[in-house]
Amino acid sequence: MPGAPMNRREFLWSSGGLGGIALSQMLAAAESPGLHHPAKAKRVVQLFMSGAASQCDLFDYKPLLDKKAGEPWDPGEKVELFQSKPGVVMNSPWGWKQHGQCGKWVSDLLPHTAGCVDDIAFVQSMIAKSNVHGPATFMQNTGFVLPGFPSMGAWVSYALGSLNNNLPTLVVLPDPRGFPPNGPANWSAGFLPAAHQATMIRVGSPNPIHDLFPPEKASFITKDSERETLQLLEAMNREHLADHSGDSRLEARIASYEMAAKLQLSAPEVMDISGESEATKKLYGMDDKLTEDMGRRCLVARRLLERGVRFVQIWSGADNGFPRRNWDSHEDLKRDHGELGTSLDKPTAALIKDLKARGLLDDTIVYWTTEFGRMPCSQGSKGRDHNPFGFTSWLAGGGIKGGTSYGATDEWSYKAVDKPVYCYEVHATVLHLLGIDHKRLSFRNNGIDRRLTDVHGSVLHDIVA
Amino acid sequence: MFQEARCAANSLMAQRISITLLSIVLTCGTVGAAPVSYGTQIQPLLAAKCAVCHSDNNPSGGVSLSTYAKVAAAKDRLVAVVGGPSPRMPKSGTPLTPEQVALLSRWIAEGTTDDGKAATTELWWSRKPLAKPSVPATGNPLDAFIRAKLREMKLDPSPEADRRTLIRRVTFDLTGLPPTPDEIAAFLADPSPDAYVKVVDRLLASPRYGERWARHWLDIAHYGDSHGYDKDKPRPNAWPYRDYVIAALNNDKPYSRFVEEQIAGDVLYPNSAEATIATGFLAAGPWDFVGHQELREDTLDKNITRNLDRDDMVATTMSAFTSQTVHCARCHNHKFDPITQQDYYGLQSVFAGVDRADRPYDADPPVAAKRRDLLNRRRLVQIQLQPLQDLVANASTPEIDKIDGDLKEMRGRISDLKATKVSADADAAARLQVEYDPIAAHRKALVDAIVGAKSLAEIDRLTPLAKALDDEIAKLPKPDLVYAAANYFPRNGTFRPAMEPRPVFVLNRGDLNSPLEPAVPGAIGTKFSLADPSDEGARRAALAHWITDRGNPLTWRSIVNRVWHYHFGAGIVDSPSDFGKMGSLPTHPELLDWLAVWFRDDAKGSIKQLHRLIVTSQAYRQSSKDRPEASKIDSENRYLWRMNRTRLDAESVHDTLLAVGGKLDLKMGGPADRQFWFKDDHSPVYDYARFDPDSPEGQRRAIYRFIVRSVPDPFMERLDCPDPSMLAPKRGTTITAIQALALLNNPFVIRMAEHLAERIQPAGDASAQIRMAYRLALGRDGSASEVQRLAEYAARNGMVNATRLLFNSNEFVFID
Repeated sequence: MPGAPMNRREFLWSSGGLGGIALSQMLAAAESPGLHHPAKAKRVVQLFMSGAASQCDLFDYKPLLDKKAGEPWDPGEKVELFQSKPGVVMNSPWGWKQHGQCGKWVSDLLPHTAGCVDDIAFVQSMIAKSNVHGPATFMQNTGFVLPGFPSMGAWVSYALGSLNNNLPTLVVLPDPRGFPPNGPANWSAGFLPAAHQATMIRVGSPNPIHDLFPPEKASFITKDSERETLQLLEAMNREHLADHSGDSRLEARIASYEMAAKLQLSAPEVMDISGESEATKKLYGMDDKLTEDMGRRCLVARRLLERGVRFVQIWSGADNGFPRRNWDSHEDLKRDHGELGTSLDKPTAALIKDLKARGLLDDTIVYWTTEFGRMPCSQGSKGRDHNPFGFTSWLAGGGIKGGTSYGATDEWSYKAVDKPVYCYEVHATVLHLLGIDHKRLSFRNNGIDRRLTDVHGSVLHDIVA
Repeated sequence: MFQEARCAANSLMAQRISITLLSIVLTCGTVGAAPVSYGTQIQPLLAAKCAVCHSDNNPSGGVSLSTYAKVAAAKDRLVAVVGGPSPRMPKSGTPLTPEQVALLSRWIAEGTTDDGKAATTELWWSRKPLAKPSVPATGNPLDAFIRAKLREMKLDPSPEADRRTLIRRVTFDLTGLPPTPDEIAAFLADPSPDAYVKVVDRLLASPRYGERWARHWLDIAHYGDSHGYDKDKPRPNAWPYRDYVIAALNNDKPYSRFVEEQIAGDVLYPNSAEATIATGFLAAGPWDFVGHQELREDTLDKNITRNLDRDDMVATTMSAFTSQTVHCARCHNHKFDPITQQDYYGLQSVFAGVDRADRPYDADPPVAAKRRDLLNRRRLVQIQLQPLQDLVANASTPEIDKIDGDLKEMRGRISDLKATKVSADADAAARLQVEYDPIAAHRKALVDAIVGAKSLAEIDRLTPLAKALDDEIAKLPKPDLVYAAANYFPRNGTFRPAMEPRPVFVLNRGDLNSPLEPAVPGAIGTKFSLADPSDEGARRAALAHWITDRGNPLTWRSIVNRVWHYHFGAGIVDSPSDFGKMGSLPTHPELLDWLAVWFRDDAKGSIKQLHRLIVTSQAYRQSSKDRPEASKIDSENRYLWRMNRTRLDAESVHDTLLAVGGKLDLKMGGPADRQFWFKDDHSPVYDYARFDPDSPEGQRRAIYRFIVRSVPDPFMERLDCPDPSMLAPKRGTTITAIQALALLNNPFVIRMAEHLAERIQPAGDASAQIRMAYRLALGRDGSASEVQRLAEYAARNGMVNATRLLFNSNEFVFID
């Protein structure tokens, strides 16, 4: 409503209004009890494997695949695949070992992640509503197979607001090789107010945030001129406000320029990892070309979380183009999963260990997911086709019960048979840990009170500590 | 039926009257209590708890509770199904409380009488027939209704805004651009009493008007220039529909014709190219390229893709034209409004014969007629050919599948090798191709064996016929193409036309694995009687006529409310696409009805006349200044005791920067301006950071920009430009730090600040330049002290910093 006074939540949307800042801080402090119930977690970092990471080559060990490798695959029913017809049974090119006190089987592709299994709860019975990347990637992000819905991070921003006053609430770190299927629509705020839009940071690129600073060519804008510009702008806006009283939006807009100036100071600082110790950089694998990029983004993610960014999303893998630059290993699983898995493994484990060492893991959820899984049979001779019927996600920290596994696929790692769950259950669980009842977090759009979990979902109490 | 709305309206009063209520409840329980009232107690209860599944529209189990007679007839079953320890009804929602069951029992025990107090109509306000209420006073009828309501609320209207404010307001509103200093000066100097009306008429006659208001309509249609989803491919022929909307508004096309053309223009007006283009409306939303073009026929995921595609057409059409949320009835009957799953799937079957595809059209009528004839004959051949082509496409054995895998891998290697552009790799690619060809030939032999000689012979017979027609079609002058609703188009991958409407079933819980009965083409509460049910065009024509029927109250209320919404920043109903029970109630129901009937009958569907009526009203011309005493009564200004102050939307900011910078190119229409660096790839790349704002694609109005669904323009997005995949009947206005940064630092803003600085240079000294900048950017003269202050600032920091500063001021983005 134009001209209307803002309510409490609108104040948050505005990320400003002198009152707005104070309010959001007060709210953040007051809200450690949670929006609907006491919260165990305050922040989330989500790792998204674009292109569909294979459960049966990473976390879902099935001895039967080794036993029957090369034999025709017959799961006892007609199998509808995305591109191909089922080939022979294909075992993983990597060996498997048990790890940690919990004895979780993890493939040898991920030795570092394997070292963290006692902190991780594996959901082994994930299913998806589509076997097409676009809709399925939307679903894991937004709960819907259609475009236009808000991402989980946007919902969390809407529910909980900011934990800081100089950085965005929701940050996305895309793969430098390109956007995943659906592009930035995956982290859209959808119909939520634009204040819950994600800020995309292209870590390591010369201009990591759109319009954070003037273009280089605009040399007439200097530090000194900018100081005077902002002072004069505020003076002019205050005169205008005096003549247009009773409109909180005008005041909020004045404050938004103060916030912008703070962001200009804090964003470069958070991305500057030169002050991190060599040991830390090594922990994240920044000394190795294969793990350097993911390591840098995981390290920046930790710095963002540390400074009160509520939700960070890190992408592993870009679009489905050729040569392969994501997890969509139709042609050569060993080659493509091999490279992506290695690039992911050490940095991810480092993120968990580093958060833990800094006492942040207790109230930070690390959430690893992908849009669907891959088939236990071969496509061509070395690839695997899409499998929406069974795959693995995992969570750690933030009130998650480590060393657990939830649900299971059948003997082939084909279909989730024990306690199958959609993303709704995982989303409900993450919201629950953040102190949010997923059924009560809604926004009216086009006649329907929309939720992240649509009309579904229940909290997976078995993986909550 | 009115229960929920009443509860909401009365919630504030609830506490105050609770003591009184308590005593009433106590009395009710005692001997000698008043008899239960059907009208005020039973009917509202049934309406709230039972009507969704037991109405005339949806008599589940053969039971409707829509009238007293029907309720009385069902009385024996009523208490039996709602009472007891495990009540069978209602099947969803909370069960009736023991008190409510007792009330029903008592009413039946008392003889099931009708006390005549039931609401005279059981229809929700938006479904009530339209009647023109009498106007409460003389003068502009709008003001008569508004003033009457203000008096009732003990509010006064505000005085008229000054002329400078008025011309700025109405020019932005009608054209999305600021008035020029000359236009302002002329208006200020015009002594005639109709000076303002003359301005309004000038603006309505300007082509800029259609460009502005088409943008509103494109929000409602969720128009975009790419498909969305994975592999977000450009949609290079979407723009003719955008141009159609601009022209329709500029030419003031009567609204019912505008509606009919967008749903079934190709069917109803086959000789009009623009009527075919209009069906771009049905295709405007996102489209799942991979689902349609890569998934195999007859797979579950293919059917899901098509189901969701039709869902989008249904939701878009019914939201846009009738403000109904029929899409809520995909998985169950609508929980709040009388819309059944049968209604919903009936609407899906209206669109079961069309897909979204490029469609040819010809400006030259004889060519158009010739093409229509040829395409129709080609379609008849394709009806025979398609099943045979499917035999070939679906032929499969383990050997063929293995070969397919090998061939795919080889193609991947060949394309990788070619991509390197190294000559050794090119040679390797050629060698690989030599290996590839015989394998492909062997595959073909295997497939032929499966298809069989008879079918192959039939394919051989039909293929030349198809080719001959294709050749003849190719000889016609090259047609223009529009991305629109299409019932015939060439096969591409696994994407192919339906040929006849695809079967649509009512789906239990919306699940394609649980089909119930076949759906019958129809709309809300109605099934169409069609001479030839296999004629998909007749289905769409029937829906178009159902919507534009003068007796359809939704249609006429919907459009006048939308127009009102854009003028005032809030509709009479503040949920412009939801006139159901979850939507808002009208603040001025009589005014809405008066407008709807006037628009339909007197204005004959002329949207320009509607604009004129609204913007010449006193309500519209009021000052937007706050008045604390009025604000206390109506802080949201729902009753319009002042005008609403609006923040410019993304497109208006964009266009105003160009206009003020002196760079606005007013060329209309044609292909969309790609304001990004583009690389066509397996998944195309759209990069806004690598666009030069001074290139020709950057100079036209924002309505002409190429709208990418997957990668929104960050500048526009930060100014609340909605996600083009979402129906957006209203826009938000948020204020964020990231938005401030966009206005401070986006290269486009910087360039326009530079252009404005150049533009004002000839004005004279720094003060003269600043005075001109104020007039151009803010539409007023800066005060002496303002000019002096900014001139001194410019002396220290340069003129570009000064113009950039003006672009960032609150006064620039807020319109009084």
